[in-house]
Amino acid sequence: MTVPLEGYLLLSAAVFCIGVFGVLVRRNALLFLMSVELMLNAANINLVAFGLEYGNLTGQLFALFVIALAAAEVAVGIGIIVSFDRNFESIDVTDAVTMRW
Amino acid sequence: MFVEGLLAVTLASAVVVAVAPDRYAAKLATGLSLLPLGGVALMWTRFDASGNALTGGDIAFETRETWFQLGQYSVDWHVGLDGVSFPLLGLTVVLVTAALVSAWTPITERESEFYTLVLLLETALIGVFTALDLVLWFVFWEFVLVPMYVLIAGWGGPRRNYAAVKFLVYTNLGSLLLFTGLFALVLGLGDSLSALSMPDIAQTLRADGQLDGLDVDVVGQSITVGPDGLRLGAFLLLFFGFAVKVPVVPLHTWLPDAHVEAPTPVSVILAGVLLKMGTYALLRFNFTMLPGVARDLAVPLVSLGVVSVVYGATLALAQQDLKRIVAYSSISSMGYVVVGLVAFTPHGMGGATLQMISHGLISGLLFMAVGVIYNTTHTRMLGDMSGLADRMPWTAWILVAGAFGYMGLPLMSGFAAELLVFVGAFDAAAIPAAPLVTAVAMFGIVVVAGYLLWGVQRSLFGPYRLDTDHDIGRAPAHDIAPMLVLLGLVVALGVNPDLVYDVVQEAVSPLVDGGATVWPTDITDHVQGGRR
Amino acid sequence: MSALLDPAVGIVACPLVACLVTLTTGRWLPLRGAIPGLVATAGSLGLAVWVALRLALGTAPTHETVYTFVGGVDGQGVVFSFGLLVDPLSALMLVVVSLIAVLVHLFSVGYMNEEGESDLDRYYAGLGLFTFSMLAFVVADNLLMAFVFFELLGLCSYLLVGFWFRDPGPPSAAKKAFLVTRLGDYFLLVGVVAVFATFGSGAFAGPDSFVTAAEGVVDSDTGYTFLDLSGQQVVDGIGLLVLGGAIGKSAQFPLHTWLPDAMEGPTPVSALVHAATMVAAGVYLLARMYGFYALSPTVLAVIALVGGFTALFAATRALVEQELKQVLAYSTISQYGYVMLALGGGGYVAAVFHLTTHAVFKSLLFLGAGAVIVATRHEEDMWEMGGLRERLPVTYYGFLAGSLALAGVFPFAGFWSKDELLFETLDHAAGGVSVLWVAYAMGLLAVAVTVLYTVRMLLLTFHGDPRTDRAADPDSVGWTMQAPMVVLGVLAAVAGVLNLGTLRGVLGEETLLLAEFLSGETLEGFGGLTTENGGFALSAGQYAETLHDAAGYEAAGLSPVLSGMVALALAFAGVAGAVLLYRGDDPDTHVARLGRLGSVLANNDHQDEFQVWLASSVARRAALAANRFDRGIVDGVVNGLGAVALSLGGRFRRIQTGLVSNYTAMLVLGLTLLLLVFGLTEGWWV
Repeated sequence: MTVPLEGYLLLSAAVFCIGVFGVLVRRNALLFLMSVELMLNAANINLVAFGLEYGNLTGQLFALFVIALAAAEVAVGIGIIVSFDRNFESIDVTDAVTMRW
Repeated sequence: MFVEGLLAVTLASAVVVAVAPDRYAAKLATGLSLLPLGGVALMWTRFDASGNALTGGDIAFETRETWFQLGQYSVDWHVGLDGVSFPLLGLTVVLVTAALVSAWTPITERESEFYTLVLLLETALIGVFTALDLVLWFVFWEFVLVPMYVLIAGWGGPRRNYAAVKFLVYTNLGSLLLFTGLFALVLGLGDSLSALSMPDIAQTLRADGQLDGLDVDVVGQSITVGPDGLRLGAFLLLFFGFAVKVPVVPLHTWLPDAHVEAPTPVSVILAGVLLKMGTYALLRFNFTMLPGVARDLAVPLVSLGVVSVVYGATLALAQQDLKRIVAYSSISSMGYVVVGLVAFTPHGMGGATLQMISHGLISGLLFMAVGVIYNTTHTRMLGDMSGLADRMPWTAWILVAGAFGYMGLPLMSGFAAELLVFVGAFDAAAIPAAPLVTAVAMFGIVVVAGYLLWGVQRSLFGPYRLDTDHDIGRAPAHDIAPMLVLLGLVVALGVNPDLVYDVVQEAVSPLVDGGATVWPTDITDHVQGGRR
Repeated sequence: MSALLDPAVGIVACPLVACLVTLTTGRWLPLRGAIPGLVATAGSLGLAVWVALRLALGTAPTHETVYTFVGGVDGQGVVFSFGLLVDPLSALMLVVVSLIAVLVHLFSVGYMNEEGESDLDRYYAGLGLFTFSMLAFVVADNLLMAFVFFELLGLCSYLLVGFWFRDPGPPSAAKKAFLVTRLGDYFLLVGVVAVFATFGSGAFAGPDSFVTAAEGVVDSDTGYTFLDLSGQQVVDGIGLLVLGGAIGKSAQFPLHTWLPDAMEGPTPVSALVHAATMVAAGVYLLARMYGFYALSPTVLAVIALVGGFTALFAATRALVEQELKQVLAYSTISQYGYVMLALGGGGYVAAVFHLTTHAVFKSLLFLGAGAVIVATRHEEDMWEMGGLRERLPVTYYGFLAGSLALAGVFPFAGFWSKDELLFETLDHAAGGVSVLWVAYAMGLLAVAVTVLYTVRMLLLTFHGDPRTDRAADPDSVGWTMQAPMVVLGVLAAVAGVLNLGTLRGVLGEETLLLAEFLSGETLEGFGGLTTENGGFALSAGQYAETLHDAAGYEAAGLSPVLSGMVALALAFAGVAGAVLLYRGDDPDTHVARLGRLGSVLANNDHQDEFQVWLASSVARRAALAANRFDRGIVDGVVNGLGAVALSLGGRFRRIQTGLVSNYTAMLVLGLTLLLLVFGLTEGWWV
């Protein structure tokens, strides 16, 4: 049984919306990072699904790039969060507003 | 190669001073600034230009190499000098050296940065007066702002940030206008122009019928501007762009703030040379490239000049701060330059150019004298001091001499320049009711005498009194020396204006189409007829 | 090159060299620079006398350009040059100026050096520069050079009046002197510029002089493009403008207010600068270009009226002053009014004559006043003096000679010159120039007033009993101060022989030495085209002819003796009045008894108050208002634009909260908004 393309797209949209929701309402930096991961993976689902649909490897190739990029991003992100924690003794993103204005 | 040499030596000096330790920077920069001074002195002996550089005269020390191609236009490294730019170049190198010496006392922190910036400024100023390619000239023109801004903002008085930002924003807006104006002209010339060299542009514009209209796209609507409209528009854009620098009333308000906040040596260069960039550019662009529009607009232009003279002098009358007095009087003096240029007579335009030189020397002298007083008294307010001539006789008498120079005492350069401007403007055919207009402008000399003598009397004469905590002593010799040099130049130019006026006339007379006279027929006819 | 050129250059150069020497080495010289000044001015005097004698003996006058100030290019524009014009008028003035300069230098040794003043090198350098400027002004051959040195005279006056700059008074007086004369110089400069611009030349003499050109212009019916003025109107206008400068420098109404204040300077300076020479520069300039004024009856009338009025009103003011130098200051103003009256009344020779005699007797009076001031240890109020006659005999007799000359008492110098000028004015008035009657009446009335204040001054200072201790025991006066007074005293007594005009009916015209000198034969044809082919020359005779032809001045041919008798009668009335009022050992202060009249006299010119009000209230208020306008409106617009930009930016940057969630929300909202817009306008599905 083959799943129609719309199914993948719906799944991807749902995951992406969960990610956006997380970024919008969460204040914990770690959860932020996870929400960003969710959005990236939603994009991955899209890429892979379209690759399957059109029968070439480009989609999968891009998905691999995105996964690698996401790993790097998490490493940097966690690093920022650690130093954030050292400076503010919390990982609440709304604390870091000293450099605005 | 002389011009390139000047630029390279000055730039290299800036680099050397930048890496030198602070304690050597002052002497080193001054010593190095003698090199361009000597270079210009050498050039003086070999100067062989004739005619105006822009109208096809022989250009001295000319270099022209293709730099790069910009669309259909070739952008050149084109530098050279004629009788208008060479005196201004001389003024620049003399005043920068004098300003550097005058900085020894007041500048006590971050010295190598300061002197580096001044030398960079000198490089840019030399570039402005020597460049003959539009792009090259504009690059130097804009580059002047950078060190100037930093110098005011970094070493200025209490409100330096306000003054520096005001100066930068004001002049940059001016640059925006003039850039638009310039390229409107270049684009309007269309195919008849193949290089962005200023002589090429000027000669093409002065030739009839070369200027096409210009199609301007405004939100999808195409508007066609005819040649006349383009000329007028470009003239206005250029005029207001340059008027900021001059400054012409009502675009003058950056000047007092910048002067009051800037340290003395920077004020010297600002008043002495930077203001001349404005009038130099007016002469080069508006009055050389678009003489027809200048004649058509003679009435509003000369009105602005006269208003600058009278209004600037009136403002100076109301000031309590010695430096502000000198700053406002600069507005007044530069008004004469505008009046002289508009006249379109040999003595009018020549006198205007001479006035640029003369005002550069005299205002530099006065700013230095005020600076020396400030160095020791730490005040510039008239109410805080009196009788300083008793304690600092040299400075006081130099200030008095400079004041008399400013008010046009004969045998000092201001008189020669103003006299020529007046004679030139009095019988100018370009200005309606020229005698009346000139007479009104001349009233400036009375007001100038009023506020300068009043200021001098209150600060220098009378019983000695000083309302600050500082003890006052004689100024060191290195503060006095540059003022004496400038005073010597002012007197030399006043006694023999032809030192400069010869070359100036050579370059200015091609711009004047025939001498204008007010008598419809030759005066000698009546004389021959006799009375009886 | 004429034989007169080199000595003329020498006359001018000597004081300049002295000035430079004093300026550079004065502080190490004995007497702090008095010696170079004395030597140089004596040299100038010697050369000037020689030049004047050569001219009198028939050497032709000379006129040569010595220095090109600004050259024109290719015949475009005007050429400005400096040159020397040595003719009888300038030669006479050279002698007068250098004579008085020598004597004032000598006097200064007593007045300044022996009183222990400091900064004397500055003083002598100033005197040297002044003498140089005046001599250069006198020999100037064109209007530009005249203006240049006219202005330098103003500078010297500023420096010398403000010599004691540590006191509050002198710097203020110096500033006022410069500013008020500057106002006059403004008009002069406009006139100079107008002359150069309209006639293309500023030369006083020569075929291409502006005077010759003006003659042509007056006769032609060419219109001036500006306001369609006729040639005559242009000449009138320029004449009035130049007159403005002369009014300023010669302290004529209404620009006379600086002169009394200028008495703040050292007394020798008052003698040299503010009595005998610099103030003479104004009227000298008018005499120098008299050929031009002779073309313009309107301006001549103005000159005569200004002169007559000034002569009268300044004399009345001198009547009520308390200080010796103030009386002399107003007397100077009044006497130069006479010279102006003479010029306006068509008496060229009389004007030059009075200029000469006045220089002699007024410098004598000032030096006498200086001697009195030194002797009484710097007392200037006449009411604090009295009885000095016996204790200061030389000073007294010198002062007496000067006073009698000033009062116009027969046979002192002032009598001859004043009579001559009154006679000339009367003669032309009777000849049909009716406006001169008014001027003449004022001048005649002033004769009586002059005598009144002169005798008052003399009686109060030297006669009666000493009224203070200082007057009772004055210091002695050294020979350096007495010698100049003796020389000038003798001259004041006998200088009248130059021109015994009142007796011309008895002695014959040829005994009028000055008139002969000023219209010498060598002058015929010199200065322009020759008289034969209808041009103008620098001779008094030619001026008279031009006056007659162009300005319509007719001489009625009255008897000069009659006119002299009228003036003499008035003078005796003045003497009688003064003796009546001020004789006795302890005279009353009659100013109070004059009542209303006194206060009117003391305040008869509110010019001073008016000008101070003009400067301190009107100009200052206008300046302050302009300043408020500039800071408020012009700069306000600039700052306002800046403030608007700043506040807008300040509001917009609030969007940048620094919270990622807010940015995300904006992204999402923006995307949604875009989707909605495109969906609603372009359709939901493609």
